[in-house]
Amino acid sequence: MPVRLLGIIGLVGVVAATIFGLFVVPPDGNQGDAQRIMYPHVASAWLAYGSFGVTALAGIGYLWKRDLRLDAVAVSGAEIGVMFTAFAIWGGMMWGRPVWGVFWQWEDPRLTTTALLLALYVGYLLFRRLTDDPARRAARAAVVGVVAAIDIPIVHFSVEWWRGLHQGPTIGSPDRILNPSAPLQFVIALVSMVAAFTVVWLYLMIRRYQLARIEWQIEEHGRLGRISAARRAASVAVGGSAEEGAR
Amino acid sequence: MPQTTIYAAPRSAGPQTPPPAVATVELARLFGRSAALAGVSLRVESGRTIALLGPNGAGKTTLLRILATAIRPSFGTAAVAGFDVAAAPELVRPQVAYLSHATGLYDDLTAEENLRFAATMLGRADGPDATRMALDEVGLATVARDRVRGFSAGMRRRLALGRLLLSRTPLVLLDEPHAALDAEGMRLVDRLMARWRDAGVTVLVASHQAERVTRQADGWARLDGGLLLEVGGEGVSAITATRSAPPLRAPAAVHR
Amino acid sequence: MNTLRADAAVAWAIARKDALAELRGRQAVGSTLFFAALVLLLFGFALGPDSRRLTEAAPGLLWLAIVFGGLLTVARLHQLEADDDALEELARYPIERRAIYAGKALAGLGAMLVLGGVLLPVVAILYGIDLAGAWPALVATLLLGAIGFAAVGTFYAGVTVRMRAREVMLPLLMLPVIAPLLLAAVKATSAALGGDPFGELGAWLQLLAGFDVVMLVAGAATYGYLLEE
Repeated sequence: MPVRLLGIIGLVGVVAATIFGLFVVPPDGNQGDAQRIMYPHVASAWLAYGSFGVTALAGIGYLWKRDLRLDAVAVSGAEIGVMFTAFAIWGGMMWGRPVWGVFWQWEDPRLTTTALLLALYVGYLLFRRLTDDPARRAARAAVVGVVAAIDIPIVHFSVEWWRGLHQGPTIGSPDRILNPSAPLQFVIALVSMVAAFTVVWLYLMIRRYQLARIEWQIEEHGRLGRISAARRAASVAVGGSAEEGAR
Repeated sequence: MPQTTIYAAPRSAGPQTPPPAVATVELARLFGRSAALAGVSLRVESGRTIALLGPNGAGKTTLLRILATAIRPSFGTAAVAGFDVAAAPELVRPQVAYLSHATGLYDDLTAEENLRFAATMLGRADGPDATRMALDEVGLATVARDRVRGFSAGMRRRLALGRLLLSRTPLVLLDEPHAALDAEGMRLVDRLMARWRDAGVTVLVASHQAERVTRQADGWARLDGGLLLEVGGEGVSAITATRSAPPLRAPAAVHR
Repeated sequence: MNTLRADAAVAWAIARKDALAELRGRQAVGSTLFFAALVLLLFGFALGPDSRRLTEAAPGLLWLAIVFGGLLTVARLHQLEADDDALEELARYPIERRAIYAGKALAGLGAMLVLGGVLLPVVAILYGIDLAGAWPALVATLLLGAIGFAAVGTFYAGVTVRMRAREVMLPLLMLPVIAPLLLAAVKATSAALGGDPFGELGAWLQLLAGFDVVMLVAGAATYGYLLEE
């Protein structure tokens, strides 16, 4: 059961990295203990964006190959990704409160872009929900996903510019200036947390994909079944009328 | 003859045996839970007029719509003049003109403006002339400057026929062309079908009015429950649905 | 290239057709304009009566009103095709999908420019803005903003045209994507009205232009998939 093993490794990794990040690494010189939330926050943020990239690429793949398995990958990426995005935003707010003094900072391009990413994800998933035919849904969702993905770097860039060109008073500097007391341990904590989260993400993706695959196979079976049933019904009718004499 | 200019584009010298105008292999289409087409294998020879017969829900409209590239097949393949409708719809579109149930007209434009627009979309250089000829042909010359919003169902149908005349494609698909028309209108349809036939255009006409269309057709195909039950006459051949028919090939993991 | 010219002819014909239908469509166009102006009025009630605050907020309020009016506009332009299944008819012509997109986006652009042109004086009056001297910059901002909105709006109107719950899905899908446009357009308008004290106007206009180009290309490349059934 290699997939289950993956899940176990991921879980163990997250726990280990959490312990390391909470208790072993010394607090940051600038931000103190508040900085610790950065480890899971950055990890989930990286996966939030990566997941959307997977969704967009799988969508393009579907448009190219018309293979519904790629659409299954796309929807998996979106559903798993939206969770990581929500967590990343929550983490960002929790981190922001002690450091900035507020939960939200408009001039932080990462926070605002991630919020928009969440909106794009939710829109994508809602859109999928409202379209019934699988082939149609896959093609249109792919297109929606691609355009949304293109938008993300634009949003990030423009918010950064927004901050850069703004001259007015700010409540707190949006940059969370870090001053790690033990740089090596800081890096280890960050990398290990990112790695562990990535494994968890991979596990969830595989599981979700398997689920989508099964759903699709059931659906496919049903569709083919309906066609065979129609044919059987008709061949009975043809058999009957043929006895009435051919033209 | 002037009719040739309206009804069919001049033929260029081509290969000796052109591909069949229409060829479908195990064509199937599902809408949600129901199979509108459950595996139809049909072949229509070029230049023939073929009647599609069958009750409501038999799959006639779905078949025509797939050939017109309005919808994609769920399973199987369909080819028009040798071009696959799913793989190369942009090559199929110049080959086929389709008269559907809905007329697709713009209510706030006049009859003339609707046709002028269609002529531009079809890439016709002689837009104004062609439009006038088409309006004359379908008997709407007097209302050319009137907005479609005020038209009756019969007039809309005539205008749609006029638009069809602008396309000059080798294949014409008619879905219940006689619907909503009075006796005069139905005669118009018959006249157009005769002219198309003379011009060597392939015509597929789906109709409830079996007698009327089979009179003008070379051959016929009867559908029911999404399946092809029998064919007759000339120019159309099929693998009909019998117990001995080849089983439906599910295209592995790929939909086309 | 020959096909490019053919595409342009098709796009222009579609835009013309839409413009004709819009102008003849009785009150639809006027209603949208009136609605957008009403929104501006309502903002006054929500944020006033301090005129200074309103004047400061004016660029943002203007563009919000343009966005709201714009949502109705692009939805309406695609609805033109929904009547009588004209969209399917349009999709079946032997024309490039990107030409259809270009035509509808062009029609959208025209409508957006009208919207902006009407709202600008309304804002000037309601919020006490002095437009003198800012005209070239304002026109440039309006133009670039309208192009971007039309590009994105035409695409998403095509996405939602035959959907369930399309009235809410159009804004839901479109507004996150339009955020950078809104941001840049407001900043540019602000700069233009204030005499561009920090020299940032050029940067914002560049951002708008970049956004426009990217979205137009994306829309043209993907619109064909939206017409599939």
